[in-house]
Amino acid sequence: MSLVIKNLTKQYNKDKTGLSDYSITIEKGVLGLLGPNGAGKSTLMKIIATISKPTAGTLFLDGEDIVANPDKIRKILGYLPQDFGVYPNLNAHEFLEYIAAMKGVGGPNLRKRIDLLLEGVNLTTDAKRPIGSYSGGMKQRIGIAQALLNDPKVLIFDEPTVGLDPEERVRFRQLISDLADDCIIILSSHIVSDIETIADEVAIMKSGRLIAKATQPDIIQQVEGRVFEVLVNSDELGVIKSTQQIIDTSRQKDKTRVRYILKTDQPYTSSTGVAATLEDAYLFLTQKA
Amino acid sequence: MQYIYSIIKADYLQRTRSYAFLITLAVTFYAAYSFVPPPTASYTTLNVVGYKGVYNSAWVGYVSGMMTAIMLSLYGFFLVNGGIKKDIDTEVGLIIATTPITNFGYLLSKMLSNFMVLLTIAGCTFIVSIIMFFVRTTGYPFLIGNFIIPYLTFALPALFSVSALAVVAEVFLGRKSILQYIVFFFFFGIMMANVENQKNDAVATFIDMFGVHSLTGSIKSQVNSQFHEHITGVNLGFTFNRKQAFKTFEWNGITITGIFLVSRLVWLVLALGIVYFSSFFFHRFDFKQSARKTKKAVADIQPNRHTVLPSNGISMQLLPRLVTNYGIIPFIKTELLLLIRKGNKWFWLVNGGAWISMFLVPINVAHLYLLPVLWFLQVTRWSDLATKEEANRLHYFTYAAYKPLQRMLLAQIIAGMILALLLALPLVVRYAIALDYYAVFNIVNGAIFVVMLAVCLGIVSRGKKLFEILFFLLTYIITQKVTFVDYLGAVSHDNHIVYIVILLSVNVILMLAGFGVRRCQLRHV
Repeated sequence: MSLVIKNLTKQYNKDKTGLSDYSITIEKGVLGLLGPNGAGKSTLMKIIATISKPTAGTLFLDGEDIVANPDKIRKILGYLPQDFGVYPNLNAHEFLEYIAAMKGVGGPNLRKRIDLLLEGVNLTTDAKRPIGSYSGGMKQRIGIAQALLNDPKVLIFDEPTVGLDPEERVRFRQLISDLADDCIIILSSHIVSDIETIADEVAIMKSGRLIAKATQPDIIQQVEGRVFEVLVNSDELGVIKSTQQIIDTSRQKDKTRVRYILKTDQPYTSSTGVAATLEDAYLFLTQKA
Repeated sequence: MQYIYSIIKADYLQRTRSYAFLITLAVTFYAAYSFVPPPTASYTTLNVVGYKGVYNSAWVGYVSGMMTAIMLSLYGFFLVNGGIKKDIDTEVGLIIATTPITNFGYLLSKMLSNFMVLLTIAGCTFIVSIIMFFVRTTGYPFLIGNFIIPYLTFALPALFSVSALAVVAEVFLGRKSILQYIVFFFFFGIMMANVENQKNDAVATFIDMFGVHSLTGSIKSQVNSQFHEHITGVNLGFTFNRKQAFKTFEWNGITITGIFLVSRLVWLVLALGIVYFSSFFFHRFDFKQSARKTKKAVADIQPNRHTVLPSNGISMQLLPRLVTNYGIIPFIKTELLLLIRKGNKWFWLVNGGAWISMFLVPINVAHLYLLPVLWFLQVTRWSDLATKEEANRLHYFTYAAYKPLQRMLLAQIIAGMILALLLALPLVVRYAIALDYYAVFNIVNGAIFVVMLAVCLGIVSRGKKLFEILFFLLTYIITQKVTFVDYLGAVSHDNHIVYIVILLSVNVILMLAGFGVRRCQLRHV
């Protein structure tokens, strides 16, 4: 199964471009999308989810043009949008029945399927309460359950871990790993550590363009040997800020620990080289582009 | 004062930057055009039996100003009502509640933004009235004062009061929008009736929000003194009648008296006063009752949490085999459920009472009054029939569903019609027993019309206000036995077949427009 995107462009208006000449091929497994706000991640996801039409370009799923024939992907699509809502007057069970109807899922086992999904997202005891009374995290879990109702082969998760507590986030990552063998999973997050632990491949976007797509080691390779840490006082911090690309700072007693990417020929005095992470590579690539 | 100005500005821009407002303006332009009918028209907007004013500046300006005051007050309430609800829904209210703004300051800013919206519309009718003067007049001079005075003395206080009432209704009746509409409608009716029935001139002037008494009184005395008549009634509003010969008279406007000016001022002060009074009862987005409910719900849940083993997550292998079903019955079921659960459940008692009454009252009363009113009481159920996905941000799912147009939208329409027909059932049964199949067909056709109007206007305007206003006006006009809008076939006239064909065509057009626009929206989230 593969999703081939070629020269995709989404122009909202004369001044606003969502995607610009974007090409990527997505195979089975987890593709993590990283990019700053306005990079075009949600636009790309909406186009794949068929709720936004590209201005130009093509999108093929196993050779089928899904821009022209969106129903082809809709049958096998699971989509968790970033900012979705619910019908507050329905309870979780009724809501999932409704989504099941949308996805064309039915039959005598539907109730059991819904029960198991609700159990899986830990909402069994609250299943009969109106969703309007749910917390943000509970709504997010309902969102995850609905995405899985139709045994999707293409799963799109836009910021899926927002509102989940640490335990739920671990469980969600486990779920993604289980599904990855069988599906195309596209996942965007601002939390780089989420992508780091789940994604087989990472695509980094900026201003509607793809600036890198590779496996995590290959992406990290681009900054390997250029990441350093140093403990400095406030005067020195100013100097480092003006000469290096700061990744992170943390207070340690009266000093500051600075993590930076080397922009000059030599690292700052007393700096120690450290192993690069995906976050380092992401910040390096997005600032460079 | 600066923050009040900022709230008014933001609120005003938020309301006016919408398709619904543009469509409202377009309808307003047409309405303003119709306020000054051509001599050959089969209706009048100010009717003195057998007499008609010549189209001079005073007649055009005052009639237009008065019609704006009355008509815009009537539907303006529906248009501007919901400003506080919007802040609750968007949770902007929670931010506002934490700012130093006082309750009165907030409510005043809401009221003034309501007023600005209504003034914008009144401004349009004002411009159209001047254009219409030049279109219709036959050589009378253009006197700008005759256009400004009625707008200042009739429209301005009325719209100011309506803006205040919309805020006060929200403070005291919360989110019960239907109840707010009903209360306002009764207030409006009482206001009009009181002025007509009041014999004391000074009292009538003061209790007259619109200034109708002063206008009609001046016209009556002009006709009576010029033609030695004893006319007691002047009809304001759209009056449809067969063409007849009129004697014409020249009327030059009302005499502005001190009492009249004070009465206008009283309405402005009264409007501010009720907003101030309501500020003591304003919830400031602190819903104690909801908080209690939530606490109780949490309390109910917490002990259970300990008895339930922590979930191990979802195992897709354990899920039962997937069975596909692309039918629309489950959709219809859920849509009906949503329609029924919408609003206060106690309101179904009112619906039930009206429903049973339709079996008992004379059939023409049930057809002309009860059914339109009962349908109107469901206005909030139908108004977001096809827009609730966007309002609840669920359209990401519904638009990405399999064949959303053919299954989803169709199911919504069918569910809406099932509700309409269930409510009309007593009347349908009675007509069927009487073998009056025309009437049955008219009711079914009317049900389709109401639902398609809700769906089409909702989809096109991406909101529910437009349908709510139009449906209210339709209901009001039909109960006035105006054949022109007789979508239910309730008013007796000679052209039933023509009306059925026209309505069927309108239904088809609404359906095509609704489906066409939604088709476009599906791929442009």
